This record gives sequence, structure tokens and C-alpha cells, in this order.
Amino acid sequence: MSFKSVITQKEDQNIFLNRILFSSLLILLLATIIFTRLVFLQIYDSDQYKLRSLNNTIRTQSIPPSRGLIFDRNNNVLAENRPVFQLEMIPEQVRYIEKTLNQLAELELINIKKIDTLKEKIDNSYQFKSITLNTKLSEKQIAIFANNRNIFKGIDIKTRLIRYYPKGEVFSHALGYVGSISSNDYLRFDSAIYTGKEQIGKTSIERDYETSLHGYPGKEKLLVNVRGRVMDRLDKEPFQAGNNLILTLDTKLQEIAYDAMQGKKGAVVGIDPSNGEVLIFISTPAYDPNKISQGMSNSEYATFQNNKNKPLFNRAIAGQYPPGSTIKPMLALGGLEMGYINPDNYIPCEGRYFLPNYSRPFNDWDTHGSVNTKRAIQASCDVYFYELAVEMGIENMSSFLSKFNFGKKTLIDIGSEKKGIIPNRAWKKNNFKSKQNQTWFKGETVIAGIGQGYMLATPMQLAMATTMIANRGSAFQPHLVRAIENIKTGELNYTPIEEINNLEHIKEKHWDIIHEGMIAVVNERRGTAYGIFQPNVPIAGKTGSSQVFSIDKSSNKEVPEELRDHGLFIGFAPLNTPKIALTVIIENGGGGRLAAAPVAEKIMRAILDSEKKSAL
Amino acid sequence: MLFKKHYDSLSSEDLFRKFHIDLPLLVAFIILFSISLIAIYSASNSDINAVIDQSIRIAISLAAMILVAQMSPLNYERIAPWLYSLCFILLGLVLILGETRNGATRWLNIGISFQPSELMKIGMPLMVARYIVRESLPPSNTSIALAVMIVILPTYLIYLEPDLGTSVLVAFSGLIVIFLSGIKKRYLVIAFSLFITSLPLIWPMINEFQRKRVLTFLNPEKDPLGAGYHIIQSKIAIGSGGLFGKGWLNGSQGQLDFLPERTTDFIFSILAEEFGLVGIAIIICIYLFIVGRGILIAINSQDLFSRLIAASISLTFFIYVFVNISMTIGLLPVVGVPLPLISRGGTSMVTLMILLGMLMSVGTHKRLVPK
Repeated sequence: MSFKSVITQKEDQNIFLNRILFSSLLILLLATIIFTRLVFLQIYDSDQYKLRSLNNTIRTQSIPPSRGLIFDRNNNVLAENRPVFQLEMIPEQVRYIEKTLNQLAELELINIKKIDTLKEKIDNSYQFKSITLNTKLSEKQIAIFANNRNIFKGIDIKTRLIRYYPKGEVFSHALGYVGSISSNDYLRFDSAIYTGKEQIGKTSIERDYETSLHGYPGKEKLLVNVRGRVMDRLDKEPFQAGNNLILTLDTKLQEIAYDAMQGKKGAVVGIDPSNGEVLIFISTPAYDPNKISQGMSNSEYATFQNNKNKPLFNRAIAGQYPPGSTIKPMLALGGLEMGYINPDNYIPCEGRYFLPNYSRPFNDWDTHGSVNTKRAIQASCDVYFYELAVEMGIENMSSFLSKFNFGKKTLIDIGSEKKGIIPNRAWKKNNFKSKQNQTWFKGETVIAGIGQGYMLATPMQLAMATTMIANRGSAFQPHLVRAIENIKTGELNYTPIEEINNLEHIKEKHWDIIHEGMIAVVNERRGTAYGIFQPNVPIAGKTGSSQVFSIDKSSNKEVPEELRDHGLFIGFAPLNTPKIALTVIIENGGGGRLAAAPVAEKIMRAILDSEKKSAL
Repeated sequence: MLFKKHYDSLSSEDLFRKFHIDLPLLVAFIILFSISLIAIYSASNSDINAVIDQSIRIAISLAAMILVAQMSPLNYERIAPWLYSLCFILLGLVLILGETRNGATRWLNIGISFQPSELMKIGMPLMVARYIVRESLPPSNTSIALAVMIVILPTYLIYLEPDLGTSVLVAFSGLIVIFLSGIKKRYLVIAFSLFITSLPLIWPMINEFQRKRVLTFLNPEKDPLGAGYHIIQSKIAIGSGGLFGKGWLNGSQGQLDFLPERTTDFIFSILAEEFGLVGIAIIICIYLFIVGRGILIAINSQDLFSRLIAASISLTFFIYVFVNISMTIGLLPVVGVPLPLISRGGTSMVTLMILLGMLMSVGTHKRLVPK
């Protein structure tokens, strides 16, 4: 150690003290800077940071309401909600979205083909809102995810309620189905009360009663940690469930009708004539609404849509068929009322009808000999009605049939209804392009007499017309929803019963005549449905076969199926206080007696049996 | 009388002085250690094991401090060249044989794994001080140049690891000695201007990772989930603490894991969130008290070597505190400097306590040079 003089030591010390003083001032300055900064952070900007810290940890989540249930008239559940497990992602918590999606696809938790669609969806969504990656996880997938949970920050399994239809296909066309909300759906409803996660009604009752069924979403404040895991629920405003619907449909009758159709193309509609309640609403072939509601792939949906039997087509209200001979009682009533026919006059039927200037005769399906009004209905004599049609003329026919609500919608409470056609001169003029085709020909009047040609009606229209026959004039607005149950008050809000009667002034004896004819169809020898039903049943009916293609009857057997006649049956029972007005249509079934009447028989028998039981 | 005298000689002050313990400093350390345990318990989501681990580290550090304090400053001066050379060789070995973790080669494994750069924090001020006290004062140009070389060479080795934070702090602990020794003001001005003007030249030489850190510091909101995440969450934690804090174990940023590295580099943010400005001000005051006490020891010590190391240790200690707090409040880039005596961690605490032990040694040993 080198020695230094005391003086230099003193100088050293002075310099050192100066430097220490300088350093100390610097320290105080730096400490002041830190302190000032802290004051800014913790006092001036504190509110802003408090908010950001809350935003970090608090998520407001809207809770989709649980959809209202649907019951049949006897309180059997037709549509309910069941939980499924789905995979959801909160994009803002995922750092490498693409990489994560690929990892999920590798573990088969999402479909590899959907990655691009998902990416697009994520880009177009709020980053703090959770996005569904897979709507239905299998148990195996849930286990796989649980094992890899730690590598998937921001992704979680959520339960979700989805629609479940315990009766499956039987009620598919009446209830419709639900699906995830598409961009089009947002135009229909107030998007403020939709969370985007719930299912929305796509067809039939599910669609047209959406506002009642949906309810109002709830809100939930959640405390989450950095991985988005929910640590605590802070505040919960529960959702208000959707209202329940009680339908007019009768499950037992629906099932009988559905089974009786045996998957053939067609429709069955049964209406309670006393109030317009639709008891049976079947369109076949049907589809499994559970499959559609749980989400189908595009290709699955395409096979459905391209199926030539059109299972998604609601034949009961949108299928339009020539009514064929089922129109005869109504035409006869018009003829009687307007005085064109005398019920007691017998006219000869030789199996064909000649019109002046027409080279070919109009054939009857059989030779009926001598027939009056009742017998003409009973045996479905074509010649009798050819003559009546020619005498009445197309204008009288169309105006009278309009009173049975043909040619206009029944205004049943579900959409996509078709209105059918009641042709006349004006109609033809308006609906054909070339001048030549706009002219009405007398031959067209002739075939209109047996419900052929341009005339078209939906099964629902025929059922409503049958109601009018059963009630001798009056019908009621047909409807599928009997009441809406207010979920909060438990109050039942019934659909009003509205009477429709365009046939008030028809003479009772004229009703009697066509009723007799229709009873004879079922119960008397030579009746077109005789032998199909049990003897002496209180049923009135009428068969019909409408031509799809003009062919020689004798070669019916060799005709390809899609060109065979449609089979129709309309009827009501019991006679005095009718409980049902029924229409059965079987496309290409080959005739009313063989195809449609047996279906009607099974339904009528069930109704009459339960009538007997309740009478006891 | 005898009794009284005996009693006097056993007064606590004298007792501690006998064992070369500076009581005010010890009390300040113990307060900070208590705060450390409280903060770590909260930051580790109430993990008592983390607290036990930290208590063990504290005990070891205190033992090291007391041990070091028993040696006279003369011994430090004696071992300085050996320690410095050893550290220098080890730093060289790290670059050749070191363990790489998270892309940085800082550890050397000789049975136990440790960072030679930590040891250099001790070796550096001792070596520079020893070199300078043997030159004439104020130091000549050549001796300044040599002293600067003593500082720069190991600093560069640490920088290569890479460990920007430690290299800056090690350099600081050496440079502060040169500064205090009485280097002429114009050299300081020249050095400072040189540093500023060379920044654009240094910038492209700094590696990608560190450049990104600096850029993130300038604009953390640019990548809120990536590089900017730490600083944003730290500021939210501190800011949301407000004047009185959210209360112990109630800080949502910490308890719900939003704040990363919260037992180590960002423990200050936890304290600020849970104890507010008031709590933080108290902690800063304790730090300032330690620094002030250290400076007082430096001023009161009579030989130049003691004075220089005491002042260097005190000022470096302050810089640790300043750098750590500044990075949590967004005044400096995130460089990975722990908060002295509070952050969880073993080596850095032992190193620091050895330095503080030296400070105590300077303050309690008999003067070497007569007045």
C-alpha cells in the first residue's frame, strides 16, 4: 500500500465528498422521478387502470334463454331441450390461432376441413366473445381435450342446450326444426335479444312461433383468470325462458296416421270440426328433426334436399293435388242448390260421355247404369258429373267451390302454405302466355266436373272443406297451437276460435242428400270405399283418384310409379257430432279406395273406439 | 460501578459493533425480508413452500453477510485481484462450457450451477478500487484508460452471454468507482458525449432480442399479448392499486395470474397493487435509508479503498432498486433485474448480501489510517 501525504488525502476527500454530494442529488432526483411516475399511475390514472384491471378479470356473458317446450293436446312433450357438449374458443386469449386450430384438428377435436371457415368466422367476430369450434363433442373427444387442456389456453368445453324431439319424424313437418342462426335470420328478429349461440326456428311451428318460444337472454358477470378460467360468478341476471306451446295435435292419432302411411309419399290432415283444431298433421316421407337440429354437414343436407321423394317438402300445406272425385259431393251440392239437378232424377251412365264437336268421348272409370245424385256420389259416377259440369258451366262451378275455401290459403298458423287453383276463364286468361292457350275450352269444364285438369287443392284445404261438409256449412280457422303458456304467470293464452261460414243458406235437405251419398260410399254395396271399413260405421266419406297422366285405365299395373294416380280420401265421423274431418292423400298410390281409404280407416277406427270408451 | 460498566459494555449497540453488524442496516434488511415473505406468499398464490424456500435463502444470505462483515476491508483489497481474475476466467469458461437456458448462456455447472456474472458484481468494484488507490490521485490518463479496460472486458463477456441487464450493472459498479475517485469533469463530459453519439452505431450491433425489448419498451401496446404483455399488465397492476392498494391477497392482477414473473422481477407490481402508493412509498423510503446509511459509512471511513467500495456498493444498490422499479412502471425496458432483498431468488440475494456485508465491514472496522 502506497503512502500519501495528509494534504493530498484531504484534497482527495474533498473531491470524493463533492462527488458523493452530486451522486446523492442524482439519487434524490431519480427517486423523485419514480415517485412522480407512481403518483401518476396510482392516483391520476388510477381509475383508468382500475377499469383495465376489471376488464382483465370480468367477462360479461349473455346466457341464451332456454327455448319454450312444445306439448301435444294431452301434455305429451313434443319438443324439449337437452344438453350437449361443445368446444368454444375466446380468440383474444389465444395467441396463435392458426397453430391452435391445427393442433385441435390433429387431435381430431375439430374437422380439418373446417379450419378455413373457422378462421374466417374468428376474424369476423368480437375477439372477446367465445366462438363455437365443434358443436357436438363425443365422450372420447371430451377425454382427449381434458388430457391436453393445458396447451389450449382460451379454449374450453361448454354445455349447451339443444332441441330434442322425442317423437322424431312423426311430428317433423308440424313442428319444423331449429338450427344455428344464419345471417338471414337476423333480419327476421330483434338481434338484441339473441346471444348468437342459441338455436332458432327454421320451419313450421318452430319458425312461426319463434317470438313466443325464444324468451329473453340473461346476463352473467364472471371473474376469470388469465387463462379465461372462471374463478367466480359475480352477478347473474337469469334468462327468461321462452313460453311453452300447447298444440292441438294428438300424439296417438299422429302416430297411427304416420304408421298407416308406411313411408309412402303423401299427407294426412285431420281437423276437429267443432273448433278448427288440427288433430293430425302428417306429411311423408318425413325427416328426423333431431339430426337437422344438431347440425348437419352441407353434404348431408344436400342429400336430403336432392332426395327425389322430397322429405323436407311439407305436403300437408304446400302439396297441391288435383282433388279428383273428392270434389263430387261439393259440386253436387252446388248443382242441387242452383237447381241444375233434381236429386230424384235417374240418368243413365254407359261409361262414356260425348260432347258435341269432340271426337273422343270422356271416359268413366266404370259403367254405372242408372244413377241419381246419391248413387252418383256413392259409386263415384263420372258421367253424372260430366253432365252436371256442362250444365253448371265453369264460372258457377268455380264460384261455388270458392265457398269451400278452395283457391285461397286456409291461413293456418304456420307459413309456406300454398293456395291451390280453382280455374275459370279469368284465371286461364291471366295464367297463360299465348293467346291460344288463354281460351277456355268446354272439355276443360267437363273434366273439372271430376276434379281434374287445372284444379288443385292442398290436403289442408280439402280437410277444411270436409269440415264444412261435416258441419253443414261452417268451419273454423284451422290452427296447430291451442294455447301459449306464459312461462312467468302460468297463464294459458288460447288461440281464438274463429268461425267461417260461406254456406249459410244451403238447404238442409241438400246437405242430407250429399251426406247420404257419402255415408253410402263407406257403408253400402257399390260404395267406392265399401268393405274397407267395418260394417255400419258412422262414417261419411268420399274417395278420389286424380290422374297424374292421361292413360288407359286397363294398363294401370304397368305404369311406372311416379305416373300412377294419386289416391285420395276425405271423410268425417261420427255422423251426428263429428269429431274429425279427415283428408288422406297418397301420391301415386294408385287410387283412393286401395291406397287412401285404408289409411283413413285406421284413423277413424281409433277415434270411434275412443268415442265408445268415453261414452261408457 | 463494576456492574454498571459491565452493563454498559453489553449495550446492544456495542454488542453488534463487536460482531461488525450495523444495527440500523440490519433492521432495514429484516423489514425488507419480512415484506419479501409477505409479497411472495401473495404472488405465489398462497404457496407456503415458496415462503419457506425464501426464508432459507434469507437465512443463508444473512449468514454470508455476517461472515463477510467479519473480514476487514484490508483483506478485500488483498483478495481483489485474485477474485477479479477468477471471475474473469469463469466468465470466459461460461462462453465455452456454459449451460444455455432460454437462449442465454449464463450458467456454469461445477457440481452446483451458478452465474459467474453474479460473482463479478463483487469482483468488479473491489478490483477497480484497489487499482485506483495505488495510483496517484486524481488518476492520470493512462490509469483511467487501464481502469476503464478493467471495467469493459468482463462487461463485454457478460454482454456476450447475452445478459444486458447484468453487464450494465457490473459496468456501473466499476465506473462509479472511477467517477468517485476524482476523474476530471471534462473526461466525464467527453465520455458522456461519446456514449450518446455512439448509440446509433451500437444499435445495429445489439442482438435482435434485446432490440425488440427496447422497442417494446417504447411502445408496449403494439403487441399487447406478446412482447408488451409484461409491461402492460404490470402497469395495470400498479395503477389499479391506487393510493391504499387492494389489500393483501386481494390484487386481481396477481391472484388471477395476469401478471407474469410476479415472484421475481415484477414483485414490485404485486406490492404496488396490494398496498398502494402508501405501501410503496414506505418501501422506497427504506431503500433510500439503506442507501443513505451506506453513503454515510463511505463518508465516515478514513481510507480511500473503504470509502470507494462503500460508496460504490451503496450507489449500485440504489441502481438495482431504480432499474427494477423503473422497468415495472415503464420507465426503462424490461432487463431482468430483481428487486433487491424482496424478489424471490437465491444467487442474486447472496451476492447482494455479501456486498452489504462488506459495507458493514467498512462501517464497523477500526480505522486503518491515523487521523
